[in-house]
Amino acid sequence: MSTKHTKAAERFLSDKQQETWHNETLWFVREKRDRMAFSLPEWEDLREMANKIKMHTITHLDKYLDQFSEKAEANGVIVHWAKDAAEHNQIVLDILHGLNAKKMVKSKSMLTEECHLNDFLISHGIDVIESDLGERILQLKGEMPSHIVLPAIHLKRQQVGELFEDKLHTEKGNSDPTYLTRAARQHLRNEFLTADVGMTGCNFGVAETGDVVVCTNEGNADMGTSMPKVHIVSMGLEKIVPTVQSLGVFTRLLARSATGQPSTTYTSHFRKPVDGGQMHYIIVDNGRSDILGNKEHIQTLKCIRCGACMNTCPVYRRSGGFSYTYFIPGPIGINLGMLRHPKEYSDNVSACSLCYSCNNVCPVKIDLADQIYRWRQNLDSYGKADPLKKTMSAGLKFLFERPGLYNFALKFAPLVNHMPHFMVYNGLNEWGKGRELPRFAKESFTSMWKSGKVKPKK
Amino acid sequence: MSNKKDILYSLQRNISERYDMPDIDLLEGIVYPDPLEKFIEVSKAVGGDALVLKPEEDINEFIKTHYPEAKTIASNLREIEVATFNPDEVEDPHSLNGTDLAIVQGEIGVAENGCVWIPQNVKHKGIYFIAEYLVIVLDKTKVVNNMHEAYRQINFGEKGFGVFISGPSKTADIEQALVVGAHGAKGVTVILK
Repeated sequence: MSTKHTKAAERFLSDKQQETWHNETLWFVREKRDRMAFSLPEWEDLREMANKIKMHTITHLDKYLDQFSEKAEANGVIVHWAKDAAEHNQIVLDILHGLNAKKMVKSKSMLTEECHLNDFLISHGIDVIESDLGERILQLKGEMPSHIVLPAIHLKRQQVGELFEDKLHTEKGNSDPTYLTRAARQHLRNEFLTADVGMTGCNFGVAETGDVVVCTNEGNADMGTSMPKVHIVSMGLEKIVPTVQSLGVFTRLLARSATGQPSTTYTSHFRKPVDGGQMHYIIVDNGRSDILGNKEHIQTLKCIRCGACMNTCPVYRRSGGFSYTYFIPGPIGINLGMLRHPKEYSDNVSACSLCYSCNNVCPVKIDLADQIYRWRQNLDSYGKADPLKKTMSAGLKFLFERPGLYNFALKFAPLVNHMPHFMVYNGLNEWGKGRELPRFAKESFTSMWKSGKVKPKK
Repeated sequence: MSNKKDILYSLQRNISERYDMPDIDLLEGIVYPDPLEKFIEVSKAVGGDALVLKPEEDINEFIKTHYPEAKTIASNLREIEVATFNPDEVEDPHSLNGTDLAIVQGEIGVAENGCVWIPQNVKHKGIYFIAEYLVIVLDKTKVVNNMHEAYRQINFGEKGFGVFISGPSKTADIEQALVVGAHGAKGVTVILK
């Protein structure tokens, strides 16, 4: 009955202290999000508005992307279109080769993770530097992000301290976060000053103006696009919003949902290349247009990548981002992974208790849990249904269709209450791992009802 | 060009039902009894500072008192006499590295989140981010309640860049411990006058 997720989660859970810290820290972020949400009387209206704007936009993407690219080109931006990850990566490399660029400094972008851009560029001799502190830590450590907004949430300060001792020659044994952040500031300042090209992701692309909006707390996207003369924007085609006015709705929701801040420190609006420089947009499909035709999962295209569904998810908090086999973890990652490749990523669909908390915090109201439920219903068609569960379901079906046998079984169920622990909790009882069985009642409701023991409330 | 056509065609092919655009103006954004007071409160909450300059106070004296250690001070504002150089006269933005303090003009303050809108009004936008400390001068009558109001008013200017700044640069990427001063300014003061 174990999936890759449960096995990986078991490893995560073996460090009880770390697991508790991870769980409590993310719950704290969720609570900060709640305080922000409750401070605005119009919060639910905002979510509904965001949902409607996104549903409108994704179902008019043909029109809006055309408008967006025309406006951008009129502003002097060079617009590229990539059908898949390979095309995206090649476009970036061609731009860099055309400029004879050797070093590119990047701000955070989940799309470039999706495309495995860094490995590709590095294999072609380009020096790629991640500049978000968390991403830089992971790049130096050779790891992937375990959360889309808090990428290094799985690491302890001592691990970062040791890494920086080795890579940045910081003091031995000093793992003070301020000290380490200052060391990274100095190190990355030098990278910003010596980079040939700056690359950013994109939080929002505005169709009516051709603008790209990038939100960060560190200011790394801004440093990376203020020193080099060339700015490359890598954007998924679903990032479009129709108007500048609609930005108000999303910038109000994004940071509040993500980290419980009223706003990110920097909300930067890029319209034109810097004087004497270049600006490139790479608009990437990579499977997104197909999702548009999938009625059951179309809503994933509304996602603004805030990570709120991860922070609230009881399974994510207690199993960590690396337990999931897709590079985006948590409820949105379960769905995006299945859309990418159902057979490969079906292990993640069990990482959900169907508590629906994700649906309730999602700022754009994606039906995350409903989608996970639907994937589970279809697992058999991918040949991925759990054989043990199938056997159990068949057994239960047999039982439920035979009331006589069912009542007979129920009558003797309370005997389990008195059985020795080892007989109930052993290798045969998968369900009993990490759980205690509820006590069976002495008498079933049916028999109480029949003997008149159930009295209607007056 | 053909990639664009193919992608747009693929989108068209996959869209089965088109949803209407809602009327954003129907959304009522929060309104505060005193937006200026709220702006100051939130600016402090996000790790920055904001204060109203009294009529008898001189902005240059104020800056000198609050940033006594600043040696290289950048500003293109005429009233800032304590500036040691005008960043608009610098040819290469890389030379802005090492600036202790920059004093720049903001256009709109937003009460709900402490954001100040700055349409690029300097030669190199890098000065907003590379200076160790940042002072933003803002007309105190230009504080609005929320982002909806702000977006109705913003302008971009010729340079084609604009940024909302809310407090100092920060990160919590190491164990969620908040550290101010990641890559940008380690401190931001908004002077309202």
